[in-house]
Amino acid sequence: MSSPHDYAPHDYAMTVDHLEVEFDTYGGTVHAVRDVSFGLRRGKTLAIVGESGCGKSVTVQALMGLIPMPPGRITRGSAKLGDTELIGLRERTLNRIRGNRIGMIFQDPMTSLNPTMRIGDQIVETLRVHRGMSIREGFKEAERLLDRVRISEAQERARQYPFEFSGGMLQRVMIAVALACSPEVLIADEPTTALDVTIQAQILDLMQALQREEGMSIILITHDLGVVARMADDVAVMYAGQIVETGSVEAIFHRGGHPYTLGLRRATPSNAPGRAQQLEPIAGSPPDLFHPPAGCGYFARCPHAMRICERRMPEPFELTEVSGRADEIRHRARCWLQHAQAPRTEGVNQNDAGREVS
Amino acid sequence: MWRYTVRRLIQGVITVWFIATATFAAMHMVPGDPLGSERATTESIRQNLEARYGLDKPVFPDQYLIFLGNMARGDFGISFTQQNRSVNDIIREAFPVSAQLGVLAVIFAALGGVLLGALTALNRNRLPDVIIMFLVILGISIPSFVFAALGQLAVVRLNDWTGQSLLPVAGWGTFQHMLLPALVLGLGTMAFLTRLMRSSMLEVVNTDYVRTARAKGVPPLRVFWRHQLRNAVLPVITVLGPAIAAITTGGFVVELVFAIPGLGRTFVEAVQQLDYTLIMGTTVFYGAFLVLMVILVDIIYGWVDPRVRLG
Amino acid sequence: MTDHPQALSAADFAPASARPDAHGITRPSQSYWQDAWRRLRHNKRAIASLWIVIFLLAFTLIGPLLWRVDPYAQNLDRISQPPTLAAQTLLVERGVQWEGVTLPQWPHAPSREWLTDPQRIELPAPEAMEVVGDPHTLSVRLRWSPVANAAGYQVYRNTYRPTAVNELGLPLGETWAGNDVGYEDQLALTPNTYWYSVTATDGLRESEQFASIAVDVQLATTIESALARGLIPSRDAAQAGDYVAMPANPFGTDYLGRDMLARLMHGARTSLFIGIAAPLLFVLFGTVYGAFAGFAGGRTDDFMMRIADFVIALPFLLFMILIRVASGIGPGESGIMPLLMALVVLSWPATARLVRGQILQIREEGYVQAARLLGARDHYLILRHMVPNTLGVILVTLTFAIPTAIFTEAFLSFIGMGVAPPVPSWGSMSNEGLKSMLNSPHELFFPALFISITVLAFNMLGDGLRDALDARMRSRE
Repeated sequence: MSSPHDYAPHDYAMTVDHLEVEFDTYGGTVHAVRDVSFGLRRGKTLAIVGESGCGKSVTVQALMGLIPMPPGRITRGSAKLGDTELIGLRERTLNRIRGNRIGMIFQDPMTSLNPTMRIGDQIVETLRVHRGMSIREGFKEAERLLDRVRISEAQERARQYPFEFSGGMLQRVMIAVALACSPEVLIADEPTTALDVTIQAQILDLMQALQREEGMSIILITHDLGVVARMADDVAVMYAGQIVETGSVEAIFHRGGHPYTLGLRRATPSNAPGRAQQLEPIAGSPPDLFHPPAGCGYFARCPHAMRICERRMPEPFELTEVSGRADEIRHRARCWLQHAQAPRTEGVNQNDAGREVS
Repeated sequence: MWRYTVRRLIQGVITVWFIATATFAAMHMVPGDPLGSERATTESIRQNLEARYGLDKPVFPDQYLIFLGNMARGDFGISFTQQNRSVNDIIREAFPVSAQLGVLAVIFAALGGVLLGALTALNRNRLPDVIIMFLVILGISIPSFVFAALGQLAVVRLNDWTGQSLLPVAGWGTFQHMLLPALVLGLGTMAFLTRLMRSSMLEVVNTDYVRTARAKGVPPLRVFWRHQLRNAVLPVITVLGPAIAAITTGGFVVELVFAIPGLGRTFVEAVQQLDYTLIMGTTVFYGAFLVLMVILVDIIYGWVDPRVRLG
Repeated sequence: MTDHPQALSAADFAPASARPDAHGITRPSQSYWQDAWRRLRHNKRAIASLWIVIFLLAFTLIGPLLWRVDPYAQNLDRISQPPTLAAQTLLVERGVQWEGVTLPQWPHAPSREWLTDPQRIELPAPEAMEVVGDPHTLSVRLRWSPVANAAGYQVYRNTYRPTAVNELGLPLGETWAGNDVGYEDQLALTPNTYWYSVTATDGLRESEQFASIAVDVQLATTIESALARGLIPSRDAAQAGDYVAMPANPFGTDYLGRDMLARLMHGARTSLFIGIAAPLLFVLFGTVYGAFAGFAGGRTDDFMMRIADFVIALPFLLFMILIRVASGIGPGESGIMPLLMALVVLSWPATARLVRGQILQIREEGYVQAARLLGARDHYLILRHMVPNTLGVILVTLTFAIPTAIFTEAFLSFIGMGVAPPVPSWGSMSNEGLKSMLNSPHELFFPALFISITVLAFNMLGDGLRDALDARMRSRE
């Protein structure tokens, strides 16, 4: 089976193919990530969007080897950082990559830093582990990094403890920790969800500025389409452990080809002028991942559900490009509505060709 | 930190005053005559003794104030039963014995508890965890005097079996004499601390900052020492004050069973012989010691946890 | 483009007809207590502990009705007996003195030549030894064959077979003539196997040669004593030589021959009474105190909590002892009430602190604020929100307070500062058992076992309750 990105004319920093993750729990096995593939273009930002529990965080934690095993288990798939395979690496080898070539920041900065270690020491720790710096050198470097994430009086702040910082400041510190070794890839797992709205914008701006300066690639996990619109180049929409649609941010926002993507859009407030502010919630709840359905996971909630949808999940259909921009990634949706035989449906960007990629 | 320490010390002094007052009140409620007929055989002896112990004055306020004044100067008076020996002398002789025993027991309990707790948490639901937690439940449920008896029995059998005296069964004097009593004394507390450390460690293992450390590529051993152990130990330190108190007073039984001339045994004997000054002296001394220990532990905690130190 | 295994038809793209209901709530709702009880029931350890507690209560309350043995009745010829189920005793006449065995034709002393012979050898051991009559706990009669040139004999007793002269055991007595070859042992005999040994002496030196015999001693009672203890109905109902049944001692007897089972049952009354009544009282008091302080707030709260802090600072065991001494125990009093009082006086502040904290916390909760905004009155808030939300914590505290109280009682009784003898308690029984630990371990073992099982059961029950009642306090075990 060919992967969906290997023929695309892009330079990828990281590619993920057919990743599957399961968890053993008392209630049975949860199929949290089901056949997920995506590519992260070098120097670009890929947003993975979806509602809570859809498997976005599990996907990136699987890449980082952060899933507790047991009960977790990667049953299939591969993930490549450049030429390096990440899945199945020994802890020691993985530790040379984590924090060095991939940096990661998390949702809640208040709990993500060790409360009994000074801020500086927590940055120095990364530098010591990966660069073998002395404490003195490391502290100098830590101060420089704090400065780079726009924390004033870095010299003094480096000697303080996390409880002396605000949430937004701590997220800056987290970014400094993640970027200490100038990684190729930064994974940001809901980086602004726990923060005040005003602070959110500052953190996003900072990430964008740093991306311009450092040229790193970013995987951004979020459920907030506002954040996606602001940050992302490419978007992958996830639902019930699967990626249901991928495409450029314009394609996803304006030419969505999967009813779930459209539902997400309609459930998100927009401040575009002249648009009526009528929010529509998506009725119902995601399927039980203990027993994932054979067909489309969105079947029960989809307004356009067809008989075939209950039986089988389609491979991605490639949608016809209308923008024609050369650097845009392919737009693909896993929905039977893209099939040539499917009835024309209003509001859904349907394919003329109905070509299924597999 | 300084202001905090000073405030705690002032609170401590008030607490000791309260302990002293409560002791004084309790001792004056004891029914009967402090100078029993076997001590004060004639009227003149009685008057002499009353004058000597200040019993000729009214209880309140005179005796009380004299008592407080003496306590404040650290003068606990003269023993009722061991004539011509001051209570201070008796305490000075007996306390170091109890303190040595207690320190060894506390070290044993704290080290053992922290290590076993961490071990069980890291091997959760595997064989070492199951075995140790079963022993811990036994350790919490079996009274110390049973451990003491079993320990003695074991030593007797061991000495019989090897045909030489490996460990003394009772008594005091050498380091070997301390081992078994300290073990028995620390066992219950160690079981309690193991339990606490285990649940604390299990909480820390799942925290976000441990995940961050792993995401930074920090090697597992370093994650254990720098991130898990240090944070998991904090709740253990907070209960160390009460644990020291439990071990110090738990010394009563151990000192009795092993015939150790410590403060606990002194107190029990003083109560049995109704030696008023000795009872009051040891009680106030114990109280002050425990208050000091709790303050000390709090200060140590502040030193380890920056949130308390700087907050 | 690939072909699918099955071709798709137009029907496949028709709108789906029936779809599962995506909105349904599948699980029934359960109240807090129902849910707690369900969780407790699934906790095997907690349920096992619950059964142990029920068994202990039955042992204490119903046990003495079924096992009607006086826990205070001493029986000095059955001291420190190991557990026995069936026992009988031989009835004997009282005080029939045995005059011994004297051989008329045997010389009563060694010859002068023997005594003055510098080359004389050590006397041999008696060649034979036998028991005269039935050996029983009131008397064991021995005779042995005489030894030439003996001036008397030494009789020894031991509980195991002697293999060397230094293992002969307890020197019972001696006879003073070479033809005096009988001895009666009446010294503190219990139903056991004894090894008797005899050595000869020529009046100057005791021989190291000895003869031994194993004697199985059976329990015996004089008719008078049997009558007094109600073993036989009347003087004529039995005669010497008859066997009568003795009450069994399934847990053995203690150092005064008292039945351990009866004492354990009555001791359970003491230990469990203190262990349950004291926590009930101090948890109740602490709850009221803490709730009041929490409600009142401000200066009242400060003042009340400062008092609680002081009481907590008192060295617990020392003041337990001081209060007990101060309340004075007169002759014939058990000392249970002073112990109870001391426990209550010293233990309430922990509960008070906890309940106050809970009340303060609940007062700030959103749902209480909301209820207040809706105009709920104080008593409604207390009944509807405060009580149900603190009850769980209080119940858990109570469960954990019980083993602590039982421990304290045992501890104090053990060092002789608890209940006054002869009232049994598990702690005082352990104390008494400790003295005879090496020879009759059951005297320490049983009370210690009961304390441990009780404490264990209440601890595990407390763990289960905590897990079931309060998800926030749930330990990760």
